[in-house]
Amino acid sequence: MNIVCAPQGLVDPERPGRGVGDIAAAGFEGVMLDASMCCPPDEFELRGVHPESLYESMKPFLDRCGQEGLLMPIARAPHPKRNTKRSDLKEMLLQLVKESIRVCEKAGCGYLIVDPLFAGIGNRGTGCEGIGNRKSGCEGIGNRRTGCEGIGSGETRCEGIGSREAGCAGIESGKTRSGMEWEVNREYYLSLAKAAEESRVMILLQNQCREHNGHLMRGICADAEEAAAWVDALNEAAGRECFGFCMDTGVCSLCGQNIREYAAALGARMKAVVLRDCDGHYETSMLPFTCTNCGSSATDWLGVVRGLREIDFDGLLIMDLGTTAEAFSRLLHPQLLQLAYGVAEFFKWQVSMKRVLKKYDTRVLFGAGNMCRNFMKCYGDEFPPLFTCDNNRERWGERFEGLEIKAPESLKELSPDCAIFICNIYYREIEEQLREMGIRNPIEYFNDEYMPSYYFDRLEEWKGEV
Amino acid sequence: MSGIGVQTKNVINDNCPEEGFTMLRLAGFSCADFSLNGYLLNSSLYRSELNDFFDRSVQELERFFTPHKRGAEAAGITINQIHMPYPVYVPGADKEINDYLRNQVAPKSMAVCAFLGCPHIVIHGFKLARFLGSEELEWQETAEFIDSIAPLAKEAGITICIENLYDSIGGHLVEGPCCNARKAAERIDYFNDKYGAEVLGFCFDTGHANIVGLDFEDFITALGRRLKVLHIHDNDGISDLHQIPFTFARTRENRSSTDWDGFIRGLGNIGFDKVLSFETAPVLTAFPKAMKQDVLGFIADIGAFFSGELQKNRK
Repeated sequence: MNIVCAPQGLVDPERPGRGVGDIAAAGFEGVMLDASMCCPPDEFELRGVHPESLYESMKPFLDRCGQEGLLMPIARAPHPKRNTKRSDLKEMLLQLVKESIRVCEKAGCGYLIVDPLFAGIGNRGTGCEGIGNRKSGCEGIGNRRTGCEGIGSGETRCEGIGSREAGCAGIESGKTRSGMEWEVNREYYLSLAKAAEESRVMILLQNQCREHNGHLMRGICADAEEAAAWVDALNEAAGRECFGFCMDTGVCSLCGQNIREYAAALGARMKAVVLRDCDGHYETSMLPFTCTNCGSSATDWLGVVRGLREIDFDGLLIMDLGTTAEAFSRLLHPQLLQLAYGVAEFFKWQVSMKRVLKKYDTRVLFGAGNMCRNFMKCYGDEFPPLFTCDNNRERWGERFEGLEIKAPESLKELSPDCAIFICNIYYREIEEQLREMGIRNPIEYFNDEYMPSYYFDRLEEWKGEV
Repeated sequence: MSGIGVQTKNVINDNCPEEGFTMLRLAGFSCADFSLNGYLLNSSLYRSELNDFFDRSVQELERFFTPHKRGAEAAGITINQIHMPYPVYVPGADKEINDYLRNQVAPKSMAVCAFLGCPHIVIHGFKLARFLGSEELEWQETAEFIDSIAPLAKEAGITICIENLYDSIGGHLVEGPCCNARKAAERIDYFNDKYGAEVLGFCFDTGHANIVGLDFEDFITALGRRLKVLHIHDNDGISDLHQIPFTFARTRENRSSTDWDGFIRGLGNIGFDKVLSFETAPVLTAFPKAMKQDVLGFIADIGAFFSGELQKNRK
């Protein structure tokens, strides 16, 4: 799993030296190559963007990243505003994305996030000409009433509109959204496949909001099963894995989604995750854990970790803190970025917790309290420890959660490849103690803050009311 | 024209139910959503507080609700749906409380539903995903509960309706049980096949859907014929306010921020011909008491408007 930083709010594209330097100094291994820096969505519609100028406008940023030794494993293609009313941008977008693919090749980017066409417009009733206006009866994106095509498990046959009812003939339940938004985007994405393959770039789709009179709602690919079906259908049509998915936690939060379920449904298609916080109502990119209410985060970070851990996510974590960064003095960006990197490392640790458990054939625990109890509840069957140990001599010889509690001295008798998982928040102190005892076994930090399930007493303060 | 209904909460007085039902009739309603949940409040249950209302025997409950039944009949109001008290499982509460909810409150609610001649009872699924770790495990708990009352439903010809709910994360309301229409459809079909009767259906709650940004049209269309009852109300997309449709806007254009067009299109897609029922009891406490009849009339007018639009859109 690699951590990259989104440059929005941190880097001035014309004078990228300071921002890129701050990102590198904070410890980030890579940075996202975001074309929006050079052609912001606001300006996109007003002035248009010349595809041939894209590389030149990004060159100072690319050069600076190279000088700082920052990798650019992922890029984001230019995109218009979410609530654009323009339906004539397809050709310009297509050329821009193709140029973005070429820039990716030059920069060594393996992934390119490409928003679907008319990503935020939604499916109907927007009042714009030619795009989903069902009442006007015009043909366009997302006009479901036309009775035209859906995708049935990757196929593009004509299915009647009535087949949208789950379980009806002709449509695979939960996997399709019949409407022109798929048809138009299928053609759009597939037209990029050849160039992407030649440049060894994978195109990533991303979940979208749509706006209904100022209210952000679920848009294209906000339904995880639909998103998975789109990716599968595109790959099937392309004949190879040209397409993947990037989950934006901010969009999930704005759409009030169960992020654990969302991630689980995407599975291995998920190649990147944008980590950003917001209040769930207004579009912001805040540093995770900073959008809080009465001491709790408004974003379902538990769901994020659970979902990514479940699918054994090993892709790119994109830290997007643009809004937070813009609010801070630039003079404080170095410190802010250090915190951001620490947060990203925290996520990486949490998400890979199970993968680390899998690394070892045998293991013991250190600690015989709640963390040990939670380990045994969630992982004890799959990864049984030989025993646990504790510094409290009065507990030596006791059994706890089915494990014998031994003295730390007993760790000296372990085979060298047996890992010690510390189940106590005094990680560093315990590791130091064990190293001073001469123990050379692998030592790992286990943590139960984000577990796959909880005992009911763990979340007793939680009282959902409807 | 579709039947138009509203909650009985804040309208029906136990001392003289007929008066409230008459008020509904005068306002233009033909149906009622009987607020059985008002007799054992969720706010009390979350504090692990029970009252003795459901200590009554079924016969005693029937006696208690006889004036309500007669009052509705006299006023020409059909009780189309009732709301079972919720939650029926309180995480972290004593076993005694949860056993009481399952073994006393739930079956007696079914009995009251049958007594009132009501064809639908709305339940809340268990909110346990954060404890158990997945929506599927959470559903299994709800399914087990449904299994406990489904035989009663079959016997009485009642359809139990699961409802799309929300959950709270740091004060941010996010999707809770039954927010995936396609999964809900599969689960409903499973139960109905298992019992050989329509024991399970769906209650679409517009307010809850709006809070979690669901696509109304897509959701309703995916449910199809499984959609039996509605909870129509509006909010700002942030809090569960249970207000009158069309009252919230977020931009200077002042257009409704709730997708009512999508709602009607969805109902039209599935040929919905059941009751347009409002869950707007808080409106009645927000407005002055003296305006209650007018407010109810306005809500009924909106129901009539929806009915007309639905007529045009019905496929």
